[in-house]
Amino acid sequence: MNVVITPAMVGQVVISGLLAGALYSMVALGLALIFGVMRVINIAHGTILMLGAYTTFWSFQLLGVNPYLSLLVSMPLMFLLGVLLQRAFVRRVVDAPELSSLLLTFGISIALVNMAQLAFTSDLRSVEFLTGAFLLGPFAFSKSRVVSFAFAVFLTLFAFWFLQKTRLGKAIRATSQSREVAMVCGINVQRIHLYSFGIASALAGAGGSLVAVMVAIQPEMGQVYTFKSFLVIVLGGAGNYPGALLGGMLLGLVEQLSSLFLTTQVSEAVAYVLLVLVLLLRPTGLFGGRST
Amino acid sequence: MKRGFVAALVVAFVGLALYPTVATGYGIRFMLQLFMWVALAQSWNLISGLTGYVSFGHVAFFGTGAYAAGILVTTHGWHWGPASLVGGVAAVTLALIIGYPCLRLKGPYFAISMLGLNEVMRVLVSYFEGLTGGGSGLSFPAQPVSVQIYYAMALSALAVTGAAYFIITSRFGLRFMTIREDEVAAEAMGIDTARYKLYAFLLSAFVPGVVGGLSARDTGYIEPISVFPLIITITMIVMALFGGKGTIWGPVLGAATLFVFQELVWARFIYLHQFLFGAIIVVVVLLMPRGILGILQQRYHLPRTI
Amino acid sequence: MQAGLILEVSDVTKRFGGVTAVNRCSLSLTPGKIYGLIGPNGSGKTTLFNCITGLERRDQGEVRFKGERIDGLKPYQVARRGIGRTFQIIRIFPELTALENLLVVTQGPFEAARRRAEELLRFVTLDRLRNEYAGNLSYGQQKLLEFVRVLMTDPELILLDEPAAGVNPTLLNELLAAITQLRDQGKTILIVEHDMKVVMGLCETVFVLDYGEKIAEGPPGVIQTDERVIEAYFGR
Repeated sequence: MNVVITPAMVGQVVISGLLAGALYSMVALGLALIFGVMRVINIAHGTILMLGAYTTFWSFQLLGVNPYLSLLVSMPLMFLLGVLLQRAFVRRVVDAPELSSLLLTFGISIALVNMAQLAFTSDLRSVEFLTGAFLLGPFAFSKSRVVSFAFAVFLTLFAFWFLQKTRLGKAIRATSQSREVAMVCGINVQRIHLYSFGIASALAGAGGSLVAVMVAIQPEMGQVYTFKSFLVIVLGGAGNYPGALLGGMLLGLVEQLSSLFLTTQVSEAVAYVLLVLVLLLRPTGLFGGRST
Repeated sequence: MKRGFVAALVVAFVGLALYPTVATGYGIRFMLQLFMWVALAQSWNLISGLTGYVSFGHVAFFGTGAYAAGILVTTHGWHWGPASLVGGVAAVTLALIIGYPCLRLKGPYFAISMLGLNEVMRVLVSYFEGLTGGGSGLSFPAQPVSVQIYYAMALSALAVTGAAYFIITSRFGLRFMTIREDEVAAEAMGIDTARYKLYAFLLSAFVPGVVGGLSARDTGYIEPISVFPLIITITMIVMALFGGKGTIWGPVLGAATLFVFQELVWARFIYLHQFLFGAIIVVVVLLMPRGILGILQQRYHLPRTI
Repeated sequence: MQAGLILEVSDVTKRFGGVTAVNRCSLSLTPGKIYGLIGPNGSGKTTLFNCITGLERRDQGEVRFKGERIDGLKPYQVARRGIGRTFQIIRIFPELTALENLLVVTQGPFEAARRRAEELLRFVTLDRLRNEYAGNLSYGQQKLLEFVRVLMTDPELILLDEPAAGVNPTLLNELLAAITQLRDQGKTILIVEHDMKVVMGLCETVFVLDYGEKIAEGPPGVIQTDERVIEAYFGR
């Protein structure tokens, strides 16, 4: 490549990476919750994100609701969907080998995607809301990215506060460490599973609402977010919730940096190689998680 | 009972061998694809049904074979037969490269590592445009070879099912199964599980590679997204599960049943195709994870060789 | 290193994070005897077994089998050298038949292996269940199956992890008789056990572990009255 890379460019890319990373962290936290508490690999996670994005789109389109305000709609809605899915299907594969949960969530995923295709058509949608960029010295950041970043950080911090300080949050953490001990301590593990899946779905839905303003919305958009969430969890370590945070930022950084030197397509392959390398060299994650 | 079964098998073979003489073009392509799915499901069975290491990226071998064969045919004028065999070899090479590191990972981590493999292959193929035609794909010169592909596919399905038979009824295959049953105990008993896992993985990659090459010749055109989609992996998995993974005839039964079902029923509900497939996956996973033959085996205490 | 020792564990240490499960443990086994390894729960007995058989990598120390170092070998390599073991929790292969459980661990000619498998099944009166899936056997039957599976490869050193656990008295006597028979054939056996009657009745030398350290070693009678051993079991 014959492009001269200036420090300003690197700086721009690093900050862009962090902005994107917060979003990845938030969505991946949801996946981490599901895997940590239930040992379930949820391929439908990205699909729920997609539904969150559509919620925001339709609220905006039909009712003129501010996309960021629609978080108040998409999050509870996706929470309920998550609880429903867990109650009806996922709880049956909680202790089953990973093949079952992978296939089950895949089946749910394609069924939901198909329903979205029927209901919303596959036409690309977008939410034109916050255009333009903030200019700060040599850097330019798209406004929607910055606002999404802010919301993502807020929601993630809130989620952590919830996990650390509230009774339900502690119960969730306890269950993800040891289900048997949690049961003995009187924790209603079934209900914890329900809430965890619900909260995780709410986070995915929030992710969808936040990206709705930035990317094209179509029924199959969720797949790439599922994959990236997996990558974040592997980087951060399974069952390591703060690790998911750092992992998300790392992914954002790596992605933006590699797009400086490579095409975006190949940077996806880079992401995959990163995944395999981490799995091989530090299967418990870069920041120390638990092995299964 | 066994005599009757063998007789039925012979009749079926003869019938299938003579089928192209009486069938229509559509009929031949129908059966050819059915054989392809049998071969794919059975190959998946060799690694995942027997060793319990669930491969979620198996379509990567199919696509690699398709492209390897495709490049040889279109750029170097090879005949599709040998080209497809090279496709199989290419797939095994990929399996060696990816299997050697990844098979060390435990359960869910192995599954996750395989999950992205098809995406990476798709991206790599798109990137090396000069070789593979990139996003525009590769076109094969038009040739009416359906009947020959039919026999080639049938042979592939036969070969891998035969391999399954010999493996499952031998000590070699028993060692594969100990990996599924209790890998730690198997190691402690002197079984080199790392080596056997790799054997199973390599064996399971060959036929998908060959069949990928054949399928490419059959459709006449390949592009990255058509030969590396996750849904092909999922389909072969669900077929093997439905019939009964870990058995010899399970994947055959599952592939044949679901393929016929798919062609006959879902073509009517074209807009609900994915939804119905998703529903079938959910039903199989929740209600019959052992598959038809698995359930029968347990209920009627049948031997493993079914 | 003394000549003639079949197993020599020298200064082996194994840590898990902050916990030292095995702490500079040393023991030596001469061939053709039955040894016992006892100690309170959590004293590191199974971890020591795992270090010997290669299931865990020791952090320090050496393990020598018939004079050759085996620490650092993979478990299957250790097994092939001639060391067999059973597990605290039974680990047979449930979806293989009893016969297949025995056949699968062998390497040599099939017919010879099959004959030996049938012989061993007869030995523990499981021969009529040879084609039954091991998962369908009762606890006691599975225990016996695991025991003879270890014998299939004719190991010189056999490590038994709590062979008496959950076993009824009749079956236990059969097992003990079998173990004695193995010793008479020249094999060396190391047993982890909690059942003191078994240990006292069967073992010629007993090692005692506490918090990963060897605190005593000697004939059962002496061990019984050793102060440190009593302290370890009944508290200070």
